[in-house]
Amino acid sequence: MNALVALTIANIKSYVRDRAALFWTLAFPLIFIFMFGFIFQGGGGGGLTLGWVDHDASPESAELHRAFTALRSNELVELPEAEARAQMQDGEVDAVIVVPDGYGEAITAGTAGSATAPASITVITDPSRSDLAGSVYQAVGAVLGIVNLGGRPPLVVPDPQTIQTENLNFISYFVPSMLGLSVMQVGIFAAIPLVADREKLILKRLAATPLRRWQLVGSNVLMRLLIAMVQAVIIVAVGVVFFGVEVTGSIAAVAAFVILGAMAFLALGYVVASFAATEDAANGMTSVIQFPMMFLSGTFFPIDSMPDVLQGVARVIPLTYLSDALRQVMVSGAAFAPLWVCAAVLLGWLVVCFAIAAVKFRWQ
Amino acid sequence: MTVAIGGSPVIRVRGLTKRYGDVQAVAGVDFDVAGGEIFGLLGPNGAGKTTTVEILEGLRPADGGEVSVLGVDVTRDADALKPRIGISLQTAALYPKLTVTEVIDLFRSFYATSRPTAELIADLDLGERKNAQTKVLSGGQRQRLAVALALVNDPELVFLDEPTTGLDPAARRSLWDLVLGLKAAGRTVLLTTHYMEEAEVLCDRLAIMDHGKILEMGTVDELVMKRFHERAVRFDRLPELTTAELEALPAVASVKADGGEMLLYTSDVGPTIGALLALTERRGLEPQNLAIRRATLEDVFLDLTGRALRD
Repeated sequence: MNALVALTIANIKSYVRDRAALFWTLAFPLIFIFMFGFIFQGGGGGGLTLGWVDHDASPESAELHRAFTALRSNELVELPEAEARAQMQDGEVDAVIVVPDGYGEAITAGTAGSATAPASITVITDPSRSDLAGSVYQAVGAVLGIVNLGGRPPLVVPDPQTIQTENLNFISYFVPSMLGLSVMQVGIFAAIPLVADREKLILKRLAATPLRRWQLVGSNVLMRLLIAMVQAVIIVAVGVVFFGVEVTGSIAAVAAFVILGAMAFLALGYVVASFAATEDAANGMTSVIQFPMMFLSGTFFPIDSMPDVLQGVARVIPLTYLSDALRQVMVSGAAFAPLWVCAAVLLGWLVVCFAIAAVKFRWQ
Repeated sequence: MTVAIGGSPVIRVRGLTKRYGDVQAVAGVDFDVAGGEIFGLLGPNGAGKTTTVEILEGLRPADGGEVSVLGVDVTRDADALKPRIGISLQTAALYPKLTVTEVIDLFRSFYATSRPTAELIADLDLGERKNAQTKVLSGGQRQRLAVALALVNDPELVFLDEPTTGLDPAARRSLWDLVLGLKAAGRTVLLTTHYMEEAEVLCDRLAIMDHGKILEMGTVDELVMKRFHERAVRFDRLPELTTAELEALPAVASVKADGGEMLLYTSDVGPTIGALLALTERRGLEPQNLAIRRATLEDVFLDLTGRALRD
């Protein structure tokens, strides 16, 4: 059998038989997702907050306002249109309803049977927050159902519009972030078994065989990429199945960033393995890298809520860009940086770290 | 598989040097190993044995000197050598979570040609443990597996670095049988050890190393005889015989009474024993537990370095 394949399989067997490693890569991110998912899902039970833009200011529009307010415990915030859109971007309101000029006249005409077309109201939602958009259309449907009771054809129809908002619901933001975090762990944790193998002289023993170094590195990379992909599938599946996360982007783009990210963090792991003499040292260095990365990359706290100094750090660390890119391609999250910048930063880390490791790594 | 005996040596080392910082690990070493022999490097820890062996294996660059192994200049082309040698490192390093069979199969994948796994497992007597993860193996089983891995590619030359360190006497003897089996199969073996007994049992020739230098080289007999021409005739002490009487016996160089035992150091065993028996016969005595003992490698090492070779 080909040495590269055989060594990759041997690595995977060793990995799967190591319960602790399995726990940290597979169970740990899931525990996080379920924990945060359930905590933050609980808060969303109340009514909707809707931006209300009334260009008509007629008795009919006032009637409609009453109908929306009466439904459940919806809160209507009356705003000028530009302000309403801005507030929706910021997540202040869940959706915006615009009553156009001439609404009242159209209703009057419709009731009289002389209308050429039904009156319409504009309903602006964010499709990436599918659960919220669904609730909005449910409410709109309920209200218009009452209004339209008398007339056939309908008096009022909704005119759907969509905009991208900054604020994803928490779990949609969190799932890609957790994916980024897991990919980081798969990558930098590669240092530890590698250093252990060196310490136990396994690398030295391998060096005495005709096995090539590229085969050794290649098998390590292959195995880690495989783990990253398995992890990605599990995390995305849990997000979709249990928390209704909607993957709006392409799966291929998600996979591409998982691979690019895993490679960049693998290279960082090899840098750790180059400087850590012992397994304990590698553990320590990995933690030192992992924890700031975890907390400063926008995984748990949005970057723009951090002090300037920490924002500066966030702008440099690769996890920021990996998670940002994953949020963009998975759930159409707002961009911290354009996708090509994310890719370029990750590629930059990959090249620099790989170069350092190539020079500094010791096999024995 | 077997390299012609009597042709060019399988290993040829000249003027080998290696320095780590301030420590001169190997300070000018020369030796040859012929095909089909078991050659030993004997010395205490830190003598430079492992460094020497690792340079021969192509695992470390030398600072100076010539090293030719199986006709390959190791300093230039270690990769050409790797498919043809088998090695067992001082610490038997194995994948702890893989089974014996899996580790052997893995190492087989590294070589273009290899021996069947089942055959190796049978030869190394690992059948009962073939599905056990290597982390649960005993020290002796682990060393046997390390030797199995050294034999995966059916090598012409096998390097065994301290193969029995840390093993109990039974496991040590079982490994000795294995090494002698390699020789019987025509392979050349280079081993390092700091056990005198191991060197005496296994090695056709050996080099005594200390502080990065070879102090003495030859067969065990040559090494001992070169320094200790006398053999010792020993018997349980007979108070009736005086030291002067014993010293007067032919060929006796010195007489030593050590506790309950008498030692006659003699340059010629036959006449000494003959005269001793005649003397005791005349006096109506009988020497109990009469034996002839030669000096050992331990005596040689003590003589060479002024200290005992113990771990």
